[in-house]
Amino acid sequence: MAQNFEHPFQGLQFVQKVSGGPRDVLVASSGAKLYTYSADSGQRLSVWPQDGADTSTANDTGSNPENEGPPEKKRKVDPEETKATAAPAKKKPAAWSHIPILTSTPDGKYVVALTAEDKCIRVFQIEVDGTFLELSSRPMPKRPCSITFMEENEILLGDKFGDVYSMPLIPSAEPRISKAAREHQKRIAATNLTVHTQRNLKSLEMQKQQAAKKAAVKADKAQEDAPAFEHQLLLGHVSLLTDVAFVSLPSPDPSSTRRRGYILSADRDEHIRVSRGPPQAHVIENYCLGHSAFVNSLCIPQWAPEILISGGGDPYLLVWNWTAAQILQKVPLVEETTKAKDVAVRSIWASSFDSGFSNPTRLILVVLEGSPTLLSFTLSSDGTLTTQKPLTTSGNVLNVQPHPTANTLIISVDNIREPGSTQDWRSAPASSQTRLQTFTLKQGGETLEWESVPSALTDNINAAETSTVSAGADKKAQTALNTSLYGLENLRKKTYGDDDAGSVL
Amino acid sequence: MGAPAKRQKREEFRRKVAAATTEPSGDGSASPPGSVLNLPQKKYYRQRAHANPFSDHLLEYPLTPAHMDWSTHFPAYINPNATQMNAAGARRLLKDVEVVDIGCGFGGLLVGLAPVLPDTLMVGMEIRSKVAEYLTNRIHALRHQQQHLLQQTQTSTSSSSTPVPAPAPEPAQQPTTEITDNETPETTFPTTLIPGGYNNITALRANTMKFFPNFFARSQLSKIFICFPDPHFKARKHKARIVSETLNAEYAYALRPGGLLYTITDVEEYHFWILRHFGQQQGPEGSAEDEDANEQEEGGVKELFERLTPEELERDECVRVMMDSTEEGKKVSRNKGNKYVAVFRRKDDPAWPL
Repeated sequence: MAQNFEHPFQGLQFVQKVSGGPRDVLVASSGAKLYTYSADSGQRLSVWPQDGADTSTANDTGSNPENEGPPEKKRKVDPEETKATAAPAKKKPAAWSHIPILTSTPDGKYVVALTAEDKCIRVFQIEVDGTFLELSSRPMPKRPCSITFMEENEILLGDKFGDVYSMPLIPSAEPRISKAAREHQKRIAATNLTVHTQRNLKSLEMQKQQAAKKAAVKADKAQEDAPAFEHQLLLGHVSLLTDVAFVSLPSPDPSSTRRRGYILSADRDEHIRVSRGPPQAHVIENYCLGHSAFVNSLCIPQWAPEILISGGGDPYLLVWNWTAAQILQKVPLVEETTKAKDVAVRSIWASSFDSGFSNPTRLILVVLEGSPTLLSFTLSSDGTLTTQKPLTTSGNVLNVQPHPTANTLIISVDNIREPGSTQDWRSAPASSQTRLQTFTLKQGGETLEWESVPSALTDNINAAETSTVSAGADKKAQTALNTSLYGLENLRKKTYGDDDAGSVL
Repeated sequence: MGAPAKRQKREEFRRKVAAATTEPSGDGSASPPGSVLNLPQKKYYRQRAHANPFSDHLLEYPLTPAHMDWSTHFPAYINPNATQMNAAGARRLLKDVEVVDIGCGFGGLLVGLAPVLPDTLMVGMEIRSKVAEYLTNRIHALRHQQQHLLQQTQTSTSSSSTPVPAPAPEPAQQPTTEITDNETPETTFPTTLIPGGYNNITALRANTMKFFPNFFARSQLSKIFICFPDPHFKARKHKARIVSETLNAEYAYALRPGGLLYTITDVEEYHFWILRHFGQQQGPEGSAEDEDANEQEEGGVKELFERLTPEELERDECVRVMMDSTEEGKKVSRNKGNKYVAVFRRKDDPAWPL
């Protein structure tokens, strides 16, 4: 029956010259799985996690929410899990329904993915034949929202709780000796000098009794929420973090050859904070304030590291000289007249293309949540963004990757939902399910223009099945799938009444 | 009297006060002689003691510090040059706000500090809307009373004297209008003029854990007060504490080098928490019970602060006010509790690593 959709690709990442081998590989995440494809032919090389030895179809891997519902969100971190080896869990169904973050280190040696429900950061090496070698999996206490890299491939991540951590790409062998583990004597902070009401005094008395009991038992599960692997808290917002970036600039002091690292962190409360890189992440250089809704994406082009382009719940982009917290330009994203719907910037990419001119065309690509249009801008050397002709695809744009060698742009599109909608599903799966499209810049034209081009890579990937989503999925399963791809509107602040109703009656 | 009746009465009272405060009298000059604003009564502004700092509320905060309209808060300090506008088109002040009381509550500290630092603009920030409203009304009434008193003294001295600002009698004297926690409506009026006439203090509702950098630019502040913070005893609530490694970086950002951060608490464990998070290796053995003890390595936000010595505290008038004037400080004294004070000086930013 053709009543099934294929899962769209949520993450895309090219990895160049895998393990020093001769070829480039495209890593993509679709549903609960990761795939590798040859970057030239689109031939599938490997899947992770591998299906069990049994001949179960993709439908039975348990990764499909419409069958069993998504796994429950993990509350407690199981320390055993850190010891997971490269062998994928065969007997158990995957503990996650999708892979929201997929990225690779700047040198392309490692691929880092985040699996959703178990909040595990997984580091892979792609072998020459394209297979995945899982080097580590580290469960985080809170859901990571953004993963990037600092110098020497150190992982930098921001989480839902507002904290930014650094951790080594490859964890050291021995588990961290938890300080909390040593002689963990829980003291009760409150005393009868600090609590006064009868009820509080009574509960304090109870707590004291409890503590006395516990001391006798000797609590050995001292470890609380702290992960057992090496990690360092660098900075924090009291807000949900949405994006984190690391940049280094040459030192203004000519005698110093050491570059200065900066961490830029964006949150749901409109802030972009500029801090120094470790070990001085507690020194805040400035705040880039100017957004009036959540910030979702930070883009610092490699070729212009002093420029920041930020976007989020506002119908505009801001272009910053971020070292001075100065707004250079405010770029509207929608026509002033069409302010019917809230727009949210899903992601911003910087990319350069060979367009036949002597200089490569340097582009800023922006996609709005639930939109089949990829907005393109050129960025001049003085930091001016100029709007160019947008590019329209066959479905909502999910992800964009420039092909490393072919001078094309690979775009992952949503084949399940109607273009322009984050909720409404297409009535029936199209016969050929386009999940990837290839575009290139028209050569020699007066203005910048995109054209769709055929490519073996995308054709072959589109033809091959990944995991399927039943078109007849019920509403609940649909909603779960929708939110796994489109969660941005949840970041918007609700404007219902003040919740300060806690007045004493 | 049932609960609804009580609530109704509260609302009615607050409406009345709001009306009185917003009437065109402004600084009290246009009000009919003889009518002096009463201080608001706390019983009409009750609100539960805890607020969730992580929720959105319906907060008002400026886009950037340059967009903050302070002119409505400090009308006596508006720059007379009307062409001086801030980024949001509001009148500028003659000077910047320099002192912040984070979690000011009912404002005991501000009212106590007003005559001690009569030329310094101070703001109290409070997350509970009704408490902030109370303090705003209280400050308004205090200003009004001072204005009234000033007029009286001027007329009694046959008004030939110069229109100088308030003459300064002993500044250390406690204003007679101090509110204590349990008492009857305040009907007594001040008999002494206070330096500054309470024109240098104000209050606003804000969530400082989220929006501190929206109000204050880098190095703008000379003093930050954190008095009797919500202790959040449960370990899983520690993220809600107002003192933490990560928030301290924000305080350091707004505090100028040499500026002071004052803390006082009656919870011993919290005191050690504060010391730990500002870099003092202290606390009874085995009290490092929380995961934040991980960050005990050198470096970190601690290198931005140094603790003041007991002798320095002795000389600091603000410490005395913090001990004695805050509502919570009085309550602790009544209950014969302990008060733990720690004051930290902001050091210069470290040099970039070479």
